[in-house]
Amino acid sequence: MHTSFTSHDLPASCAALEDLLPAYAEGELAPAEVAQVEAHLATCAACQEKVAQYQTLAQDLLGLPLACPTPEMRTDFMAMLHREKAALTTENVAPIANAEPRVEHEAKVILMWSRPATRQWLQVAASILLVAVGVVLGLVLHPGSEQLAANQTRKPSLATQLATAATQPATASDRIQLVSNAPTTNQQNDATVLVLVNTLNTDPNPNVRLAACEALYRLRKDPRVAPALVHSLPLQTDPNVQITLIELLVALRTPEAVPQLERLAQRRDALPAVRQQAEQGIGLLI
Amino acid sequence: MPLLPVLLSNFQKRTLSPPTETLVETTDEALMTQVQADNLDQLVPLFERYHQPLFSFLCRLTGDREVSQDLAQNVFYRVLKYRASYHAGQPFRAWIYQLARNVHTDHWQQNRRPTADVDQIEHTASYGRSALAHAAATDRDAALQEALALLPPDQREILVLHRFQGFDYAEIGELLGCTAGAARVKAHRALEALRKIYFS
Ligand SMILES: [Zn+2]
Repeated sequence: MHTSFTSHDLPASCAALEDLLPAYAEGELAPAEVAQVEAHLATCAACQEKVAQYQTLAQDLLGLPLACPTPEMRTDFMAMLHREKAALTTENVAPIANAEPRVEHEAKVILMWSRPATRQWLQVAASILLVAVGVVLGLVLHPGSEQLAANQTRKPSLATQLATAATQPATASDRIQLVSNAPTTNQQNDATVLVLVNTLNTDPNPNVRLAACEALYRLRKDPRVAPALVHSLPLQTDPNVQITLIELLVALRTPEAVPQLERLAQRRDALPAVRQQAEQGIGLLI
Repeated sequence: MPLLPVLLSNFQKRTLSPPTETLVETTDEALMTQVQADNLDQLVPLFERYHQPLFSFLCRLTGDREVSQDLAQNVFYRVLKYRASYHAGQPFRAWIYQLARNVHTDHWQQNRRPTADVDQIEHTASYGRSALAHAAATDRDAALQEALALLPPDQREILVLHRFQGFDYAEIGELLGCTAGAARVKAHRALEALRKIYFS
């Protein structure tokens, strides 16, 4: 293979320079070699033609049209990314809900949330939270969602379902789905808030706890929510949950959270990004 | 849809995106390190930077746009799937092109055809015979495309890397596991082989 194109019928003087000609045409030779090649070219029409052909070839290669991918490539990529993120969020169990409406929302969200490199943990938290938001939105905006809600009234209450899920080997994605289906409004004595708080404080899976955060945020008008979030802060050890809670407490303008935030900012076992987020939160609340 | 904008603006205003913060240009390697840490959204800027070059690379190798688009998509899928195998600081471009080469090799082995079908290349590329105004240019392009398709795959690849993807000999050497000097010799041999076909 290495000698495949060396022509053996070339005159010796041409054969000696054969390997230098492409480099010469490309302008890659050192001055001494250039002089050597040019001395030969002056006397050899065959090698002149070869050099001219290399140059034509180089030009024609440059002139080849550049093909562009179709817009579907980006759409497909975003859908693939979405699937992988969902798989990551639900620990590789089946997708949470029917994916159709969510793909679109999250494709937009991804672009809005591209972040500078320094806030990595925050981004992880944000993207997971937004998956939860996407799930909720998918359910809220989906044409069938009213019917879904109607069906739910006939089913056991969320409290019952979650309590059952906690005692049975329900998958994390089942629990996320339950939590994400929690209603956006509730009566004063509804157990939903209590069940969600309990999930936030005790569920072993951080993604379920994040979904509980999100569901509680939707019920933020309930006076039990903000104190429960404050109370939950020292119980959490997962940095994503910690950061999300801080965000929610800031978003809810909960100055009562400041003492807990101060403690968290001092905690040795908390990640630097979490402690920083806590300090930033204090700055926004005081 | 009131919920999402409200949530977004709340978070962005209060915690995520202070307006004073300036966005610095992030290197490929820094982005990939974040993808590796399961921050998958950071693959989006890498997709924006690389999907066109990779598509073009695969198009030149296969001569088929539709296939190349699928293969390029597969490259990004593999970036996610094999993100653990990326080493911090490793040049990202070399790494992703290596994935692209593997994707292409796998495809080639599954659809074993020693040389591409010249007629098919002419038709799948955008050189329709109706483009009479550019007949001379398209004839020339088609002939060159045909000549490229007739090269052995490894020679075609080295030319594409060098001519179209802007790889220097050192980078090609890294990719092929040889020295820069050896890569240069291979590139010249490939050019000579192409010249012979093109001007035959
Ligand atoms: Zn000569």
